[in-house]
Amino acid sequence: MKIVVAIKQVPERDAPIHIASNGKWIEDGDLNYTINEPDAYALEEALQLKEKTGTGEVVVVSAGPERVQSTLREALAKGADRAIHVEAVDLSSRDTLGVAQVLADAIKAESPDLILTGLQSDDLGLGQTGVVLAELLGIPHATIIMQVEPVDGGLKVKRELEDGWFQHVEMPLPALLTIQSGGNKLRYATLMGIKKAKTKEMKTVTASPAAGTPAIALERVYLPEKQKKTEMLTGSPAEVATKIVEKLKFEVRVL
Amino acid sequence: MVDGAFPAVIRARSFTGATLLFQPLLSEAASFSRLEILLLVLGILASLGLFLWRFAPILRTILRSRKDPSFSLHPLGRRAWDFFWEILCQAKVIRQRPLPGLAHAFVFWGFLAFALVSLNHLANGFNLGFLPPASPIGNFYFLFAAAWALLVAISITGLFIRRFFVRPLWLGRKVSYESGVIALLIFLLMATYLAAFFVPEGGAAVKTLWWTHTLTLLIFLPLIPHTKHLHLVLSPLTVFLKNDGFSRIPPLQGDEDFGLVAGKDVTQIVSLQTYSCVECGRCTEHCPAANTGKLLNPKEIILGLRSYLNEFGPASETPLLTEARISSPDNPPAKYLSMEAAFECTTCGGCEFQCPVGIQHLPILIGLRRGATNTGAWEDNYGTKLFLALEKNGNALGLSATERDKFIQKQAFPIFDGTQEYCLWLGCMGGYDPKGREIIADFARVMQHLGTTFGVLKKEKCTGDPARRLGNDLVFQTLAESGLKTFETAKVQKIVAICPHCVRTIATDWREFGIAPEIEHHSEFMARHRDHLPKQQGESIVYHDPCYLGRYRNVYEEPRAVVRQSGSLVEAPRSHERSFCCGAGGGLAFLGEEKGERVSHVRAKELAGTGAQVVGTACPFCNTMFRDALTAVSEAPPQLLDIAQLTARALPASQPQSSGGAQ
Amino acid sequence: MSGVLVVMEQRNGAWNRMSFEALAAGQQLAAKLGTECSAAVLGSGIDSLASELASKKLTKVYAVQHDLLKTYTADGYVAALEQLLKQTSADYVLLPHTYQVRDFAPALATRFKQVLISDVIAIRHDSEGTTSPVFVRQLLQGKLNADYRHTATGPCFVSVQAGTFRAEAVEDGAAAIEAFAPQLSAEQIRSKPGEPFRESAQTVDLSAAPVIVSVGRGIGEQDNLGIVEELSKALGAELAASRPICDNGWLPMERQVGSSGQTVSPKLYLAIGISGAIQHLVGMKASKAVIAINKDENAPIFEVADYGVVGDLFEIVPELTKAVQAAKA
Repeated sequence: MKIVVAIKQVPERDAPIHIASNGKWIEDGDLNYTINEPDAYALEEALQLKEKTGTGEVVVVSAGPERVQSTLREALAKGADRAIHVEAVDLSSRDTLGVAQVLADAIKAESPDLILTGLQSDDLGLGQTGVVLAELLGIPHATIIMQVEPVDGGLKVKRELEDGWFQHVEMPLPALLTIQSGGNKLRYATLMGIKKAKTKEMKTVTASPAAGTPAIALERVYLPEKQKKTEMLTGSPAEVATKIVEKLKFEVRVL
Repeated sequence: MVDGAFPAVIRARSFTGATLLFQPLLSEAASFSRLEILLLVLGILASLGLFLWRFAPILRTILRSRKDPSFSLHPLGRRAWDFFWEILCQAKVIRQRPLPGLAHAFVFWGFLAFALVSLNHLANGFNLGFLPPASPIGNFYFLFAAAWALLVAISITGLFIRRFFVRPLWLGRKVSYESGVIALLIFLLMATYLAAFFVPEGGAAVKTLWWTHTLTLLIFLPLIPHTKHLHLVLSPLTVFLKNDGFSRIPPLQGDEDFGLVAGKDVTQIVSLQTYSCVECGRCTEHCPAANTGKLLNPKEIILGLRSYLNEFGPASETPLLTEARISSPDNPPAKYLSMEAAFECTTCGGCEFQCPVGIQHLPILIGLRRGATNTGAWEDNYGTKLFLALEKNGNALGLSATERDKFIQKQAFPIFDGTQEYCLWLGCMGGYDPKGREIIADFARVMQHLGTTFGVLKKEKCTGDPARRLGNDLVFQTLAESGLKTFETAKVQKIVAICPHCVRTIATDWREFGIAPEIEHHSEFMARHRDHLPKQQGESIVYHDPCYLGRYRNVYEEPRAVVRQSGSLVEAPRSHERSFCCGAGGGLAFLGEEKGERVSHVRAKELAGTGAQVVGTACPFCNTMFRDALTAVSEAPPQLLDIAQLTARALPASQPQSSGGAQ
Repeated sequence: MSGVLVVMEQRNGAWNRMSFEALAAGQQLAAKLGTECSAAVLGSGIDSLASELASKKLTKVYAVQHDLLKTYTADGYVAALEQLLKQTSADYVLLPHTYQVRDFAPALATRFKQVLISDVIAIRHDSEGTTSPVFVRQLLQGKLNADYRHTATGPCFVSVQAGTFRAEAVEDGAAAIEAFAPQLSAEQIRSKPGEPFRESAQTVDLSAAPVIVSVGRGIGEQDNLGIVEELSKALGAELAASRPICDNGWLPMERQVGSSGQTVSPKLYLAIGISGAIQHLVGMKASKAVIAINKDENAPIFEVADYGVVGDLFEIVPELTKAVQAAKA
């Protein structure tokens, strides 16, 4: 099975948050970038599928400026066979549709059996690129997938529903799946993997210019008013209990 | 006893012989016939031949093992000193096990004294004796050797009794009959030598003694390569050639070196060391894993490696650590050379410190881990989580760096800008752990009290210690290089840290990638300034030596000086270089639940058992391990304080308060 | 029509409660824009659901029915809604940000060359004189807020985060039900969904628990665990513990949270009598909300807690259990 994993490079989770001067993103001078964590799970699923069947190829694809090559290199170190870097410096001015189109162009040429990606990104969190990609490629998709099992003529996947419910879905290939985080155990990068990655192929293709204007626009970013701070609840035990229940109802929303 | 017996022998023969000579005289066998000489030649040839036939394959294995390009004979002075001290003086052997150690030393020194005697003895067989017993030198030397012979005979008897009747656990459950035979042969050598003082010159009796002595020698020689007595030949070399530095992790060579993956990765020095093992079990005796019901047994790791080399050879591609070989009942050592055992080591270094024959266990154990981790063969949920946390967050706890920022802000620590004298290194524990933060805050108060200027780094990542000890060279190298760059950019000259693991890793392990600024442990800093620190009375404080401060850095007295300033020092049953680990080292603090008894509980029991009011620690990892352990093992646990906290509590309270937290 | 269309979610004839939050959002948006609000429900045999909607303040209720919509498939929903939207030409399509919506809505938007503005936490109408509202989303896991605006012509697709709007705020009224029969064929639906199921709970899986009540050394002795167990039952939570509790054998090891136990990320982590040693904190730091009850005001657990109570757990916990039971009754 030929599996393409679409990977996004995102700022590290504990990146310092300083609003950039244009007010549309955070200052990126100091940022360290890493693989989008849900995509790391998608990669892990792909590697495990390949290991389980013993055959096939895992190709990782990422769009972005030159720096995304380091993330692709890491994916190669973890066991991917090939990497495709879709060079695009204007991704931030494209919307999801624009980004998915760039990925679709690169992936179409590979004609994979299966495309995997994380269910959403750590930075923008729109959670749509995978589904839009499937739509653009005209293939079926399923989202928030916990398990993938190849069966005759396609796949049987386990999809997470809300509140502890799951569902099996069968679908033909080629298909696209967005993978739920935490379903697998990630592997750590090894020295041997890094050394082997040096000899693996990394192809760079250039993204075609954006076709039209974006459908939605990010106008400005700003810090949320409420920073995480410990709120101390005081009073008699009964009063405290009432206050906690209030919080459970209206803030935490578990009641 | 010895002194009493000897003069009696002198008196027995003191009425005969020449006036200038001491009595008695050694009787020598009369001239040897051609047939006898022929028999002797054949005997010697057979003995030597057998010796070589058995020793050659071992030598070949050692020589065919991988050469270690990082090996260097320098510093020769250190090597000469180790040889003199550890081999000739038998210092380590005696110091760590005084009674059997002394017995062993007597046997060893006796053997040295006997070299000349044996040479002359064999020369006699060719009628070429060069040391006439009646000559003044001969007379003196043979009596001198007789004294040693007596000591050897007594010692070997003692050791025999210990091995076969007392049977300490460390020598292994299986009785080694070879050792019995060897002891018997040594005793026979001594007995036949001493007896020659009591038989008439030139008679049949003396001839019989001569032949018995000779045969014993000739049988003894070929036994050496087959038994642990190989250490007679190898250990002087092993001690002389052992790698410089404690727990020295050699740099990986080229693109195909991932550590000890298979036989082909075993270096000549390691190979030599495994064949030198004398199976005394000192390593096992001091091993925290072996003593708490874990699979790991450092002695068996060395013996397992030896049996691997015997079975597969030094060029083999067969993995060293493999669970598959464990099930093979005809190869029990393989059980110990398992992934599980290798990852139970706390790297406390008790084994390496103790070893009397120069075996360096830590490079081997960590080498095995490197082989497993660098190739991805080691699969462990906790280990993976740790490595991912180090990769992503740059700290072992997987917390966000902003947590550290918040702590620095709260404490109003100045950021290091090159104007301060010291860079105060927080480490993972000091930066993130509530208890570690208290220690850092208190140490900062001590520095402020002393008027020492310091600043903390704006950004700090783990030194890579847990990755290093668990054999993840990729993560370790990344962190080491990033750390070196941070120090360089910030123009740091001097560092002080509360964590001995950080100190060791920065000072020693980082050297592979560059030179870090000078770093010291806060115990060293405070000991230097102890005259300016408040003197407190009263409380009894038991001090626990952290492995990475004591055995790794040889710092024993400085923390004690600080403790004495804060109360009265109590020594733990096992202290200084024999201190027992807390169980956290070697990355094990992050690896989840232990098998068997918890190491920390064993040590906490010992510390609480001293009855001291306070347990004084000098490592935040020890501190965190004992925090749970002390309450678990004691109804009324002693207070647990770092030496910085012991000092800071007596400071005037005008300084900013510590971060606070639950005791 | 133009205006706002809210797509409701149901499974086997039961509403997904979040649909009504989206409905409230739709009504409020329509009111602000001075336009009308309609709602759609998809499925097969959903007449009663449609009638229920007809009692809300809506212009129309579209009952989109087809045998192939009986169970949800992305292909079926996208095709049906595409047809409905082409007919109704709504300006705004509001959906609850459910797992199902995440599965089909991006593809639906793509059919219209649009992009879904997903997981919106607020809708603002700040600039006077313009009808284009601002949609607020969270970026970087909630560390940053962002204002989004729809800039293209065509329908604007928006999904709203759970809890952003209150279902109780839905205004009642009367609406006409309009049946809509989409053109669907079986070949169009490429995937075969199975019956939803729950995992049989063989082992304790704290990592998947939405609510965890965790107990620490402050509980004193094993006999006191009862009060915490009752609270946990009242909340429908999983019971967990810090290491000393499991060490003592008061609770099984599999309930241990921390570096040597499980790593959890529930919506609510209620820490009772836990001081918060680092080994514990690393196991629960990913929790969405943390409430801590401890008698020591300096306990490190308060550093990571959203809400803290300094006090005697033996007094507070039973009161809390009562209050939770009352709130649920």
